[in-house]
Amino acid sequence: MKGLSPLLFSFYKRALLLYPARLRQEYGQQILQTFRDARDDRKNGTAGFWLEMYKDLLKSSCMEQMHMLREHVMKQPMFFYALTLGLILTLLGGTATLTLQQMLRREANQPQAEMANFYASEIASGVAPDESIPPGYVDLERNLEPFVVFYNEQGKPEASTGYIDQSIPILPPGVVDYIRSHGSDTFTWEPRTAVRIAVVAQRVTGSHAGIVLAGRSLRLVQRDENILYRIAFFGWLILVVLLIAGAALLNRAQRMRPVVT
Amino acid sequence: MTKAQKQPDVRGSLPLTAAVFSILLALAGSEKHGYAIMKEVSLPEGGGVAMGPGTLYGSLDRMLGSGLVEETGTTDDERRRYYRVTGFGRKVLAAEVARLRAALATARHKGVLEGAHS
Repeated sequence: MKGLSPLLFSFYKRALLLYPARLRQEYGQQILQTFRDARDDRKNGTAGFWLEMYKDLLKSSCMEQMHMLREHVMKQPMFFYALTLGLILTLLGGTATLTLQQMLRREANQPQAEMANFYASEIASGVAPDESIPPGYVDLERNLEPFVVFYNEQGKPEASTGYIDQSIPILPPGVVDYIRSHGSDTFTWEPRTAVRIAVVAQRVTGSHAGIVLAGRSLRLVQRDENILYRIAFFGWLILVVLLIAGAALLNRAQRMRPVVT
Repeated sequence: MTKAQKQPDVRGSLPLTAAVFSILLALAGSEKHGYAIMKEVSLPEGGGVAMGPGTLYGSLDRMLGSGLVEETGTTDDERRRYYRVTGFGRKVLAAEVARLRAALATARHKGVLEGAHS
């Protein structure tokens, strides 16, 4: 242990940084002197001595940081209240934003849910998919209207009103398998970069077994979401500024209040 | 209007923590520097509190702030300062000892100490 002593002492000296700055400046040299006295008294220190010293350092530095924080809060309670209020309002605002975003996203699934249900029932009753699905042309990149596609059991498109680059978009095999085994699914599909679609897909059984997929561009919903995020962010920013300014003013007013005997 | 002079409250300072009680007890006899305090408080008769330099100076800082102890101004080294108990600190220590004595009497009365020295 004797050989390690200078190294361990040097490390201990550096570890004083764990203490609050004021305590370190006020007592740093005394702490080190007391440490040296204790070490010299125990003939350069045993392993137990070093362990004890480091344990004390960790424990007392945590305690002192807590004391310092408490002192700071007691001195400037307004900032503490403002911080607490800010946290609560941020949580509430965040929850409200998230709820609104979810509502927007859920609304984006209409009328696809009804469409998928209607065409799936019709095809299941024996109507051929190309007869059931009306003729139409919705460009997924440009148009905002809802569209419908029928895929056979192998996932091959047989009838559609939705196109991307003049061809019917192909569902990933994993999605086909999932809908086949689960019966239906609601998800966001990105058949091409920056083309996001809110999709409701339903499995069809019977003579024309396959999958009916009804989709609609998410462009409008994304625009609304962006507006919502912007409102939430700027609202939060204004709240933070107001809280800081309010706390600073109240803190100043409190300090200037005369002491009555 | 003048600022009211705050009188230290002896009863309000009780009960003392083991560290504060032991430090006050160590300083009650004579002024001491950090290591001497640390050494004395670790003895069974000094309270038997094992404390390192960090705990010691953290406690001393708060005790200086509440007027229980003060620096004597004498140093035999720039880094080795001496501390002594103040008049208020002595009153607080006496009150704490009285409180402990009452608790000890109760413990004795209830037979808690029977066999404790075996």
